[in-house]
Order: sequence, then C-alpha cells, then structure tokens
Amino acid sequence: MLGDLLLMPFVAGLLITGVLGLAGAGLFLRGSVWQALALGQWAAVGGVLASVLHWPVLLVALVLGTGMMALLQRSTDRERLPLGVFLAGLAAVTLLAANFSQASLAAAAWAEGQLYFAGPNELWAVAVLAVASILLAPGLYRVWRHAQLAPDVPATRLPPTWQRLTEIGWLVAAVVLGSMVLGLPAALATLLLPAWGAAYLARNLRGLFLWTQAIALAGFLIAWSLSLPLNQPFAPVLVLVNVALASGARLAASVYGERNR
Amino acid sequence: MPDTHMPTESSSPILHTRAAYLGFDRPVLGPLTLDVPIGSRWALTGPNGIGKSLLLKALTGQARVHRGHLELAPQARISLLAQDHPRRQPWPLSGHDWFRAMGAQPPEQARVRALMDRRLDRLSGGQWQLLRLAAALASHAVHPPAQRLVLLDEPANHLDAEVRHDAIELITSLPGGTTLLMTSHDDDFLEAAGVERHPLTEYIHAG
Repeated sequence: MLGDLLLMPFVAGLLITGVLGLAGAGLFLRGSVWQALALGQWAAVGGVLASVLHWPVLLVALVLGTGMMALLQRSTDRERLPLGVFLAGLAAVTLLAANFSQASLAAAAWAEGQLYFAGPNELWAVAVLAVASILLAPGLYRVWRHAQLAPDVPATRLPPTWQRLTEIGWLVAAVVLGSMVLGLPAALATLLLPAWGAAYLARNLRGLFLWTQAIALAGFLIAWSLSLPLNQPFAPVLVLVNVALASGARLAASVYGERNR
Repeated sequence: MPDTHMPTESSSPILHTRAAYLGFDRPVLGPLTLDVPIGSRWALTGPNGIGKSLLLKALTGQARVHRGHLELAPQARISLLAQDHPRRQPWPLSGHDWFRAMGAQPPEQARVRALMDRRLDRLSGGQWQLLRLAAALASHAVHPPAQRLVLLDEPANHLDAEVRHDAIELITSLPGGTTLLMTSHDDDFLEAAGVERHPLTEYIHAG
C-alpha cells in the first residue's frame, strides 16, 4: 500500500496525528475548543497570505497563529471572542481568495489538505514537533491537571510562567503544522473529536490520553485506507471517519454505562 | 496602598488584618480587624452577603485588599475548599487524579478510599463534596501543622446524610496545631465539628 512516494506523507500524517491527539486532549481539559478553531483558521490565513506575498508558509502561519493566540489569552471570554476571531479569519481567507488567483489555490489546498504532497520539509518539521511533544509531555500534563482545580486552591504551586507559555507555544505549533499537513478541517477534526469521544470512555486522566491517541490514530489509518483506493481527498474522509469514531465511542460508553447501572 | 508586610515573630497570629477593605473591583467589606491565632478552629458566621467568602478569597489572592492591612504569617501554607465547584460533563478525572492535582495524599477513611477509582462526574453531589473536602484537608500535610491554614467555604453544602458524618470526622481529625477557618450556616454541623463561632460583624468597624 505504501510506495516510496507515499511513505513520507504516511509517516508525516501519522506523527502529526499523534501530536494533534495530545493537543486535543489538552484543549479538552482546558475547555478551549473555540480557541482551537480560531487558531487553526488564522494559521490558514497565514498560509494563504504567504502564498500571495511569496513568503515562507510555515513562518507566516506561525506568526499569525501566535498573534491570535496571544490576543485570545488576554481575554477571559472563551466563546464569543474566539468565535468572532474565527469568523474574521474566514472572511480574510475568502477576501484574499477572491482577489488573488494564487490565494484561491492556496485556500483550496488548506481546506482539502495536502497530505499526499508532504515532502521532506514537512516530515522534518513534524518529526521535530513530535520529539518536542514527548519531551514536553510531563510539563504539559502538569499545566492541564492544575487547570482542573479552580476555584479550589491546592497545595501544589501554580505551574511557572515559562511552562504555561511553552504550553501555548506548543499548541500553536501543533495546530499550525497540523493544518498545513492535514488541511484545516482534518486538523480540527483530529484535535476536537478523538478527545471528545475518549472523554466518555476513559476512567481517569491517563485513560483520556490513551483513548484519545487510540481513536486519533485509528481515524488516520482508516481514512488513509479509504481515501487512497477510492481516489478521494484525504481531509474530508478523515473528518467523517473521526465523526463516526467519536460518536461510536460516546454510544459505546452510554450502552456500557446502562448495562452496569 | 495596602500594607503587605508580614509578621515575623513566632507568637504572631497566622492571619492578622487591621482596618482592611476587601473586594474585587471595589471594596465591599471593611474596615475589618481580626487576628486568627495559630492552631485555632474558627467558623465565621453571619448573614448571606456579609463577606465571609470574600475574606477567604482575599486570603488566596482571588479578591483584593483595597486599603489597610491583611497579613499572613510568612510560613503559612493555605488550601481552600471553595463554596461550589461545578463539574463539567464529561469530565474524565478520577479521585486519584484529583488528589494528585491537589498535592495531597488520600486519607485512610473507607468512604473516601471507595471514591478514589471513580470518575468525578459520576459521583453524587455529596460524594463529590466529601472528596473535595478530604483533599483540601489533606493538602500540605507534609508541613508542620502550625504552618497550615485550611480554609473551608460552606463545607456542609451538598452533604447528604450518608457522607455528613464522614465529613465531620475528617474535620475533627485534623492534626492539632493546624489552623482551620471556615464559613457555614449549618449550626448542627459547626457544633459537631467542634469549632468556635465568630460572627464576622464583630470584627467589622472594630478598627
């Protein structure tokens, strides 16, 4: 199934899926799903804008994504502001696509995903992020666990500022790179849906992370196996597979819960 | 500007306030003057809205001291059980996860132990309150009791008959020397917990 041409996209896709699964579990624990939507959309704005200006895509997407995340972090509004920022990003992409032909092509690429065309640059970037994720995981876990306690005040200290900033920077990198490799809808589906399904199945925090990874990686493998032989774009297939898996997880948890009541 | 200097002598109270005005955006409680001795077990009483919870929040930095002095002993280690902690649905945390996050060791009490492997979003309201109370009381247990200041905001809330006795047992078994400052409207609960009642109004305008 994996020819030489497809090995690199497959490995890059698998690695970024693992990273996005971890980020998704973290976003679920932080209750920041709207932020992910806004951040992903502004990463796409960065990518489209870079195509117009002939600037490096990853760099521009990271800069815009970081700027938007910094803005969102300054507000306690977790719903309306991120939604407004998301809509503004959608409008920006649409306007760029309407006025520049190369922007139109880039916007389509961000929407459909360019996984099959992932090359050495994407693979290296994803591999570096995957290694960084493993190294940062204990600190990320600490930040997310501590975020569950408020309004109770614990004996444990608030994670230091550098650790909280690192978490935000890592999230930005995961969403931007994920959107670039998988396409925006597929990246968002991998961020939001496996963690949501896992939250019904898991018995504890560790279970949340393991189930999220299992659902995310299964979703990627199923979508890969379906989209190639059926000659379909990868991103929409992955979205539908993740919707089915997350809904199935929720249903299974509810059936199991009823049986054990 | 509020004076944030802390007392340093060993005989000092764990909490000292003098003519303190507390609030969020603007002062709503004060002038408040009181000393809470180390090792005391106090319940602040008074009608709703008088500022009992606000004082606890000011001690944990969730509310501001606008004027006057609010001083904690430098070695004070605070933990707080907030008045309410709504649970998200779904929320895949277990009792073990909660104690780990609170930096506390679970007590030996059987009813608390029985909750440790269960998901927090699947506990009854009373079980959830008992688990939170147990974690708040066990926080900072590695430090000397004289350094510990445990703040409980309406701990009797949500406690049903099944777990009420366990909650009282946890409170009364706090090591001697630990300072307990709580709020409650439940006279029977305060009686059973063996705490001194201090109407907050007696400390307002006293400065």
